[in-house]
Amino acid sequence: NDTWLKLPGCQSVANTTCDFSSLKLNVYDKVKLRIRAEEGNNTSPWHNIDSFTLFEKAQIGPPKVHLEAEDKTIIINISLPGARDSVMWALDSSSFTYSLDIWKNSSSGERRTETVYSRDKIYNLSPETTYCLKVKARLLPRKNGIYSPVYCIKTPVANKLPPPENIRLDSKNNIFVLRWDYPYANVTFQAQWLYAYLKKIPGDSSGKWKQIPGCKNVHTTQCVFLQNTFRKGIYLIRVQASDGNTTSVWSKEEKFDAQLQITLLPPVITMKSTNDVSLRVYISAPEESENKPVNQNFPLIYEIVFWENTSNAERKIREKKTDFTFSKLKPLTEYCVKARALIEDDKWNKSSGFSDTVCEKTKPGNTSRTWLIAGICAAIFSIPVVIYVVKLLLRCISYVFFPSSKPPSTIDEYFSEPPLWNLLLLTSEEQTERCFIIENTNTISAVEETNQTDEDHKKYSSQTSQDSGNYSNEDESGGSKFSEELLQQESE
Amino acid sequence: MSTKPDVIRKCLWPACLVGLLITGVLSLDCNLLHFHLRKVTWQNLRLLSSMSNSFPVECLREIKAFELPQEILSHTQPVKRYIVEAFYEMSIQAFNIFSQYTFKSTWENDYLKQIQIGLDQQLQYAERCLEEEEKEEDDSKEMEEDGINHSEATVPQLSNLELRRYFNRIDNFLKEKKYSHCAWEIIRVEIRRCFYYYFQKFAPLLRKK
Repeated sequence: NDTWLKLPGCQSVANTTCDFSSLKLNVYDKVKLRIRAEEGNNTSPWHNIDSFTLFEKAQIGPPKVHLEAEDKTIIINISLPGARDSVMWALDSSSFTYSLDIWKNSSSGERRTETVYSRDKIYNLSPETTYCLKVKARLLPRKNGIYSPVYCIKTPVANKLPPPENIRLDSKNNIFVLRWDYPYANVTFQAQWLYAYLKKIPGDSSGKWKQIPGCKNVHTTQCVFLQNTFRKGIYLIRVQASDGNTTSVWSKEEKFDAQLQITLLPPVITMKSTNDVSLRVYISAPEESENKPVNQNFPLIYEIVFWENTSNAERKIREKKTDFTFSKLKPLTEYCVKARALIEDDKWNKSSGFSDTVCEKTKPGNTSRTWLIAGICAAIFSIPVVIYVVKLLLRCISYVFFPSSKPPSTIDEYFSEPPLWNLLLLTSEEQTERCFIIENTNTISAVEETNQTDEDHKKYSSQTSQDSGNYSNEDESGGSKFSEELLQQESE
Repeated sequence: MSTKPDVIRKCLWPACLVGLLITGVLSLDCNLLHFHLRKVTWQNLRLLSSMSNSFPVECLREIKAFELPQEILSHTQPVKRYIVEAFYEMSIQAFNIFSQYTFKSTWENDYLKQIQIGLDQQLQYAERCLEEEEKEEDDSKEMEEDGINHSEATVPQLSNLELRRYFNRIDNFLKEKKYSHCAWEIIRVEIRRCFYYYFQKFAPLLRKK
């Protein structure tokens, strides 16, 4: 149910190519094409092309390059043909990046490849040399254009005053220090800045450079300005030298990111000794005088230096956590610690100063602690043992000095002898408690020995009552034992 | 009978792990850049929200549905590089759109400048990351000097195409409304929505190591 439309510029063409630029089409829509050959009224079948989007298939054409040379630099001005009002690159007025290859025209052509803006400069060239270059436009991430033709230009004689070189920006507390190198003395310098994004927008940004306060007509190869001059963002900085009569060309535009320039402040560290001869360390962010928490601009790791207060042997570790423990230390020893913050990515090579040193003593040893615990456990476990031994002793003593009135165990054995057939005999009977009036043989022996002290008598009576209690309240087998005894006695 | 799928399954997991390891290794240099990309994207979101207090009522009837593409990356665990590419694409398109505006009042122009500065940061972080990964790829395989690489995978192209179609709709809307004040308000809200949606979806994936 597709409605096929005639492709303008491609109807009845004799060649094998045709131009359908006049088609007003959204370059991001999916389209399908089909072609057939015609001869008079005969037509071949359609050849179908799979659906595609024009943007996908489009190639970026060769850009146009305008060159100028001054001192040891080449000024380039790149424009894409038809980019301004083209249908294809309507969304990409600021999206193109350019990749430039440059080499010396002489035989030793070693190539340099650089990424440049549409209006840019190539630096660090030799004077009075012919250089050749070619440029291709790119749309990140993956679209590469066709290279332009090669353009060549000769650099002029070097200026009397060269431009400053090696511009770098350092930060200290709340100021920035801009430094550069210059071979000659008795010159003044001025520095300017520009928002980096202006280079992306088509058009000339040369009029938009602004003076850096505190960096005009300076006599030293550095100048200082407050950090709050530049709020967050990416900027370009350039420096120029002047000796009163002549000025040098501008230096290379150095990019700097205000957010990444800020100094790292040393962290705050505290340490506590824990019970198992360890030291627990806490790292926290430093107090900020102004409101912005500076250190949060980066993912930080900490370098901790740890040593015994008496020795000088230092242990250095790197840790991302802000709460960790040093364990397996010597008891009752003083240890010291200090730390500094580092940016997680090594390439940045930026660190804060060290924090204050904090020292703390470890708690007494684990070994004496374990002995103590072992001792306590031993004591606890030995108590029942001691009690048992004491009880045994008392029993021995009471046996020797205060013999018990219990019948010897052999009689017990006799009494308890055939339990089984007792059970057989007596299971049919009701389980009632039988009570007998017993002539207590014990009382006879008690009477015999009444000349003993009252205490012993009391002992006895308690014993006898116990015995009697035993005899009367015993279970059936016991009771049966007794009846057995009675029977035997009666029989005798 | 079921051994073949089992074998495939057994091989799939180590392959996935190796794939993840490789991508982990490739993105080693970019970790700091990912951190800053996330940070700056979030700051830009807040900046976009802070401009005006409420949406002007008279512009409500001009609102159009731009159909934000919800599925731009087909895998559930997309490679970090594709995420950065997607962020790059939306950043550069947003930058293009905002760069076409000039306002009459200075505070509006200041605000616009701030947005452009912020987006520029986003772009530069994403660009640096992509360039580094490209250099690593260059070392391993040869790239053609001229012309397009036809051997490119279709997946990342798809993500960019969908985003481009979306921004194309926004761009057409702006041209149609002749960059009116209402059009500005509407697309400001729309771009904020777009950033917020993708930030929520993909920024946590950039954080994972």
